[in-house]
Amino acid sequence: MKSSKSIGLVLGSLLFTGLFSGLVNAQSAVVLYNERVVEIDQTLPDATELWVTPEDLTRINDFVLKPQGACLAELCIPILQDRDSDMFVTRANQGWLNFSGLADKLQQASMTDYNDGIWSFGTMPLERQSFFRAGEAPDFELPDRDGNIVKLSDFRGKKVLLLTWASW
Amino acid sequence: MPVWQSIYEELKSDTFEIISVAQDTGGEEAAGGIFDDANVTYTSIIDVNHHISSLYNLLNVPSGVWIDETGKIARINEGTYAKTHFDGAWGTDDYVPIVRDWVANGEDSQYVWDSEKVRENIFQRTPEAEKAQPAFRLGTYYFTNGNDEKAEQYWTLAQELDPDSWNYLRQDLQYEDGGSAGPEWSERRERIEGAGGTYYAPLDIEQDN
Repeated sequence: MKSSKSIGLVLGSLLFTGLFSGLVNAQSAVVLYNERVVEIDQTLPDATELWVTPEDLTRINDFVLKPQGACLAELCIPILQDRDSDMFVTRANQGWLNFSGLADKLQQASMTDYNDGIWSFGTMPLERQSFFRAGEAPDFELPDRDGNIVKLSDFRGKKVLLLTWASW
Repeated sequence: MPVWQSIYEELKSDTFEIISVAQDTGGEEAAGGIFDDANVTYTSIIDVNHHISSLYNLLNVPSGVWIDETGKIARINEGTYAKTHFDGAWGTDDYVPIVRDWVANGEDSQYVWDSEKVRENIFQRTPEAEKAQPAFRLGTYYFTNGNDEKAEQYWTLAQELDPDSWNYLRQDLQYEDGGSAGPEWSERRERIEGAGGTYYAPLDIEQDN
């Protein structure tokens, strides 16, 4: 996406002007991630990428921004933070992470309604590597009808018959 | 559903559980009553985003997956019913006996697949089809928030991205004239089956040894 910015003459330069002038126009977004609906009060204006604060990163997908990068447990995607890049910028002492860029690095499928600022992301392929390679059941967390979270891995030690159906 | 409840009462133990997941955008209103009418006591989930079908690459309902005590899949992607319905109009009486055998014999059951066969039976999606789930999820978000026009836009896109999924098609048709088993569904089912495809994922029990 960095290349498209540097190629796009008018839009690109406007974006860069916006990003580098230090003006932060509040722009809200909604992120759909697994079962979460995360409302983001502020993003950086950008036609094609979703920029979020480190706090919002964690609200979306539990990743934590550390000096070495965006991390979830042992997994860390390196992100330089000492200077601006296509993955991270600092504006008025606030760091902003390119969330859609991170999703690209994680090869997550996504779909965005740019007009409404609603971003929908699929699961990380990493989560299903052992499913395709070794037939391990992908873990999931979904609320049951009473609102209690059902986590498949809590059923270790039991056989589970997983059935899908529908009313339609 | 009442049949699964009676099977559950027969087989439930500290080492066996049924997790039943309704793929229903309409949520509790659409699927809750069906669980209630069957007095279901096994684990019941209403999955408005069809997350489970997406995660396990299941194309239709009903579908079944066996997961053993260690979290490994022992069978997957089978069109499963608890019994035949309406004098054989659909369903099968062959599935419950093999579930019984698995619960009794575990990994020694002749119906447990080895990991090679499990891998072969996991449906493979194209990268484009993987985009169908976030598109469907987006449509469901709009549907939940009362924007039917955008819901339709993204649900239609999901069907185009993943034309193998019956779930996306039929969930959407439910909200249109003709319903989820109306003319459009019949036409597409006949077309697919006429071309040698299957509507339900195959249940090949007799081939297991």
